[in-house]
Amino acid sequence: MSDTNGLLRIGSLTRAFGGLVAVNNVSFAVNEGEIFGLIGPNGAGKTTLFNLVTGLTPPTSGELYFKGRNITGSRPHQIAKLGMGRTFQNIRLFPNLTALENVMVAQHIHTRSGVLSGVLGLPRDRREEREAREKAQGLLEMVNLADRAQVQARNFPYGDQRRLEIARALALQPKLLLLDEPAAGMNPNEKAGLSTFIREVKEKFSLTVLLIEHHVPTVMGLCDRIAVLNFGQLIALGNPAEVQSNPAVIEAYLGDES
Amino acid sequence: MNDFINTYGFLIISLVLQAILALSMYLPLMAGQLSLATPGFYAIGGYVAAILSVRTFLPASGTTFPEPLQSFVLWLGTVFPATPQGQAFPVSLLLVEMLIAGVLCGLLAIIVGLPALRLRGIYLALATIAFVEIVRVVSLNLPITGGSIGIFGIPQPYPTKFEFAWIAVPFLVIVALFVYRLERVRVGRALVSLREDELAAAAMGINPTYHKVLAFTLGAVIAGACGALSAHFINTWNARQGTFDASILILAYVIIGGSRTWLGPIVGAFLLTALPEVLRGAADVQGIPTFLAQFLKDGRLIIFGLLIAFSTLFFPQGLITPNLFKRRGGSEGER
Repeated sequence: MSDTNGLLRIGSLTRAFGGLVAVNNVSFAVNEGEIFGLIGPNGAGKTTLFNLVTGLTPPTSGELYFKGRNITGSRPHQIAKLGMGRTFQNIRLFPNLTALENVMVAQHIHTRSGVLSGVLGLPRDRREEREAREKAQGLLEMVNLADRAQVQARNFPYGDQRRLEIARALALQPKLLLLDEPAAGMNPNEKAGLSTFIREVKEKFSLTVLLIEHHVPTVMGLCDRIAVLNFGQLIALGNPAEVQSNPAVIEAYLGDES
Repeated sequence: MNDFINTYGFLIISLVLQAILALSMYLPLMAGQLSLATPGFYAIGGYVAAILSVRTFLPASGTTFPEPLQSFVLWLGTVFPATPQGQAFPVSLLLVEMLIAGVLCGLLAIIVGLPALRLRGIYLALATIAFVEIVRVVSLNLPITGGSIGIFGIPQPYPTKFEFAWIAVPFLVIVALFVYRLERVRVGRALVSLREDELAAAAMGINPTYHKVLAFTLGAVIAGACGALSAHFINTWNARQGTFDASILILAYVIIGGSRTWLGPIVGAFLLTALPEVLRGAADVQGIPTFLAQFLKDGRLIIFGLLIAFSTLFFPQGLITPNLFKRRGGSEGER
C-alpha cells in the first residue's frame, strides 16, 4: 500500500473483540486540510475506530499511517506526540485539576522542564512555566472559559466541559484533531455555533479535522467528505450530497423498505 | 525545657522521620499508584547504614573473599573506619550513608518498578507488599544483615536522641519543599494527570510508564535515605523494621492526613505518631475509671482502626484537602 498521500491513511483496519468484529476491514484516507466526518448508526464502530487511530486500542490487523509514518502498534503518547489530538465521547478531563491545569498538562510534549530544574525553579523553567500558562490562558479565552480558569474541571457544565476538552486537545498543537461527538448534549443554538467554531479553529491552527457526529445537519453542513460505517464496515465514502443519496446509507439509517 | 526535650526528644524525631516516610509513600500515590513498597526501601536503607557503620561487611577473621571483592571490602573498611568507644560517629559519614542508601534504593526501584507498575490498583499494592516481605525474609537469612538478631550497637553521631533534629528536620524540610514544588510544575502535573485519568493523559502525550516509574523511584530514594538515618537513630536494625505493619501505618498517615496535597501526609504522620503518647497521657489523668485508663493504654490499635474507619467516612479526602488552601488563600497567583 502506498503511504505517500493523505495525512492519515487507514489500511484494511480490523479490530475484533472476541467474536464481535467492531471494525471490519476499513480503509480510507483523510487529506490534509479537510474536515472529514465519520457517521453511522449506534454501535457501528466509530469510537472503536477513533481508539484504534489514537493507539488506545491495538488493531487486530491492518495498518495505520500518519504523516507518512507507520504508526500501527505505536503507544498513545507516541501518536499524540506526532501531532494527533483528540476529545472523548464520554468526556475525559482531569476532574480535580483546574481548567488551566487541564490545558497546561497537554503542553507537556512542547515543554522540557525536568524534575530537578523544575522543582528548583531555574530561570529557564520559570519562563517556560509562565509561557505555558499564558498559552493555556489564551486557549481558554478562545473557548470562552478564561474567566473560570481556576475552577476545577468537574464543576463545569456539560457543554463547557466539551469546549474545555477541545482547548486541551488544541494545546497539543496537533496536525490532526479528532472530535468524538462534539455536539452531543448541546442545545440547537450551541450546535449551530459549534460548526462555526470548528471552522474557525481549523483555519486558525491549519488543522485537519476528523469528527464523529450524530447530528445530521451539523455533519452535512460542516464536512468536506464523509465516511459511513455500519456494523464495522465502510459502506459509503464521499461528499455530503453523494453520501446522502447513497441507498446503502439510507438503508442503514432507515431500514429496509420491505 | 530540658525536661521536655528529655521526655519527648525521641518522640519528636520519630514524628519527623515518619512524616518523611509518609511523603515517600505520597509520591507514587500522586501518580495514582497505590504502592506499599516504602517500608521495604526503608529497611534496605537502614541495613545499608548499619552494615557500613558497624562494618559487618568485613569478613570474619581467617576467611577471605575472592579477589576483586576482597580489595573492595578492605577499601570500604578504610572509608568507614571503626568508631572508637566513646567517640561520636562522624556526621559526614552518616550523610554519605544516606546518599548511598538513596541511590541504591533508587536503582532497585527502577528494576522493581518497571515490571511491578504494569499492575494496577490493588494488584500493584499486593506486588509491593510481596516486595516488602521479600526484603524481610532475605534480611532475616543473610549473615551480612545479622540474620534474625539483626545489627545492634550502631554508632551514634550525637550524645542525645533529640540532636538528631540537626539532620532529620532539614531532611523533612527539603523533602516537603521538593514535593510542594513538584505539585506546581510540569512533571508534577503529568503525575497528577495520570492519577486523574491515565488514558486521557496518554492521549495528551504523557508517557505513563516513565512517569509512574519516576514517582516510584523518587519515593524509594527518600525512603532509603530515611532508613539510613533511622538506623542510627534507633541504634539497632533488624527484620522487624519496615514490615507490612509499617506499610499499613504509613498508608494510614497519608489517607487520614490527606492524599491530595503535600501537607496531608505530614499532618497525618504527626497526628498518628503522637497519638499513642497522647493516649498514654490521657490514661494518667487522675480520677478516670481503671478500665478506661487500661483501654487508653493498651487499646492503641483498636483506636487506630476506629480512627481510620471514621476518617474515611467523615473525611474521605483526608483532613487536609487542596480546597482548604484555596478558600483561605484567596488569591491564586502562585498556582
